[in-house]
Amino acid sequence: MSQPRAPIPAHDTPVPAAAADLGGRHVPGPWVGSDAPSIWTLIARVPAFPRKVLNHRDLVLSSIIRELRARFQGTLLGWMWPLVYPIFMFAVYYFIFAELLQMKMPGITDDQKPAMGIFMFVGVLIWTGFAEGMLRAGNVIVENGNLIKKLAFPTELLPFNVTVVGLTTMLFGVGIYLAVLWGSVGLHAVGLIETPLWPDAPGLGLLWMPVLLLVQLMFTVGIGLLLATMQVFLRDTMQLASILTLTWMFVTPVFWVASPQVIGGIEPYMDTLALNPALHLLNCWRWVLMVGQPAVVFDGQPAFLESLGTISIWAVCLFVVGYLFFLRSQRRFADEV
Amino acid sequence: MGAITYGVEAEKLGKAYRLYRSPFHRVLESVSFGKVNGHSQFWALRDIDFKLRRGASMGLCGANGAGKSTLLKVLSGITAPTEGRLRLNGRVASLLELGAGFHLDFSGRSNIMLNGVMMGFTRREMMARMDEIIDFAELGKYIDEPVRTYSSGMGLRLGFAIAIAVDPEILIIDEVFAVGDMYFQKKCVDRIFDFKRRGKTILFCSHSLYDIRQLCDEAIWVRDGRSAAQGDALYVTNEYTSYQRQHIDDASRALEGLIPANTVREDGLPAQLPKVREARVYKLGTDEECYEVHCGDGIEIRVWWENPDPEGIPIHLGIGLLRQDTTVAAGIGTQLDGLSLKGSEGCAVLRIPNLPLLAGQFLLPVVLFDEGGIHRYHEYLVPENLFVRAFTKEVGLVRIPHEWDLESGRPVPDHPTRPRKSAAAPGR
Repeated sequence: MSQPRAPIPAHDTPVPAAAADLGGRHVPGPWVGSDAPSIWTLIARVPAFPRKVLNHRDLVLSSIIRELRARFQGTLLGWMWPLVYPIFMFAVYYFIFAELLQMKMPGITDDQKPAMGIFMFVGVLIWTGFAEGMLRAGNVIVENGNLIKKLAFPTELLPFNVTVVGLTTMLFGVGIYLAVLWGSVGLHAVGLIETPLWPDAPGLGLLWMPVLLLVQLMFTVGIGLLLATMQVFLRDTMQLASILTLTWMFVTPVFWVASPQVIGGIEPYMDTLALNPALHLLNCWRWVLMVGQPAVVFDGQPAFLESLGTISIWAVCLFVVGYLFFLRSQRRFADEV
Repeated sequence: MGAITYGVEAEKLGKAYRLYRSPFHRVLESVSFGKVNGHSQFWALRDIDFKLRRGASMGLCGANGAGKSTLLKVLSGITAPTEGRLRLNGRVASLLELGAGFHLDFSGRSNIMLNGVMMGFTRREMMARMDEIIDFAELGKYIDEPVRTYSSGMGLRLGFAIAIAVDPEILIIDEVFAVGDMYFQKKCVDRIFDFKRRGKTILFCSHSLYDIRQLCDEAIWVRDGRSAAQGDALYVTNEYTSYQRQHIDDASRALEGLIPANTVREDGLPAQLPKVREARVYKLGTDEECYEVHCGDGIEIRVWWENPDPEGIPIHLGIGLLRQDTTVAAGIGTQLDGLSLKGSEGCAVLRIPNLPLLAGQFLLPVVLFDEGGIHRYHEYLVPENLFVRAFTKEVGLVRIPHEWDLESGRPVPDHPTRPRKSAAAPGR
């Protein structure tokens, strides 16, 4: 190298004055040792998760925006895309199930004609929001291996971020859904259409949404952290997980109504079905989003608060277990990805 | 003042990686709760012990795969040590790979933000430094183009600009100095000096011993995961230069190949050929043997030779100074000086009053030539290598005697430079 360089002070010169000035500000860092933290230390770190998110809110926010932007960057419709998808889905479900197949549930009145389409739309919307977030979260650590090997940052934020992204796309769908429902009620009120799509658009019940979102977030992140950790050490995990998720979807009433009135002979299995936390999650969302829906949908189903309680317990337990599992192995990620 | 005087402290640091033969062995090990051992261990780092004063800088040198990067990874908290412990006192920014975490579809500007928050800084902090970073990276209008369209040099410049702008108390850099063109390198180095001046602690690894010598107070030479030498940067880099055993072996082998084995005379009788019996290095004018010298010392090389047939085979003596990387530093021969060896044996002394060699380890091959200086009758390697240490930061192979005149006041010449000889000139 030929460029001139300024001479440096010899190594035995005292610390420059500027450094000495910093004296008071310096706080000794913690010792980082080789011992794996004890289970109690790990448990003590679990409640710190929200604070971690808060402290790194800029990282979380940037990542989420980046993730959302990356999906639509360079497309013609850009930010319209998250809206196009649910609109299209809504139209398809309505057309196929209500108009084409004339599918009706027993005990449904005429002004609830699209009930089946709406039932499935809500089911698919919520399920996708959950499953997409979970599967992405499971892969996210291995996918970002290069980042983990080169940058020191709280890796638990990665599964968290993609879960939030899943929830956000889901919320776009919920927004469209509400707009369509409210729109049809409005059009009916001014006499432009004969029957509204839905007799009674959701109102105050929506105040439950933040609670539901939080519970779903914990639930999804919990499973996501668990999967992500396993995926680091055994790459078969996510292969297996995608098969199991498909199975899970079919045993969850996404496309079918778990009501004895609709499916005769389901009665003896109701208790078993109630063991599935996803059933409770969908149930809650349908209580909130399908106000004034046919009573038949909820026939034999746990009441809203009961479902909410059950899924909350599931969410907290899964989150604690998943995060503990993640924390226990976190220090080895950089060596394995 | 009761403040912490160390920026980085490491005690007996070690890092072992587990190698599993297959995923099956991993599963087997975990389902048996460790009763079945499915992995072997590889120690990438062992027994690294140091304390780096705040405001000091430390360089890591060593061969590829010696463990330098692993050490930096452990220190920057990316991977946990397997044994020992460490402590960093102050905010750290580590730059282990330029542009790690860049999102290629986003503009340079968004990537500055993303990269910054990834390193633990807030949006506000990054906003405040945005212009400074863009200025430093000199990307101009490209800053709003996707990073995908950048040349690799531009990407590196942006990465360096971000890392250096965030103003940490401790900066950990892995081998990222040689960024971009000379001009940008200069800027980076100036920035690092600026860091030093402001009392920041710097840790970096480099293959450029020059950089380590110039930028660092202390150094560690990492060899096979262990510290082979540590302390003063000049001392460590000298040690490292002197070592490089493999090169020495290579050089010795190359020399052995040149020595004619069992030369047979044309008439079929075994030749009584000239031979070097012994060769040694002494301090100039003394009988004290000496193989560790400093630049500027006086030495003499004594060669005891024999020539059974001085009438039939006139011989010349040549001595070479060969650096361990096989660079020939000098080759001196009696035939070149118009002298020759007379008689059937003797001791030839080569005096070098002011050894101009800079730091390194040198091999001393001694050769007996024919009168044309072409055929080598015997080649002999001085059994010990000559270690030269230089307590100067000058670079190169030799120290050229020089003097400066900085106030000569001579005007710029107004006539053109003399034309160069054309490349086709005779003798070229």
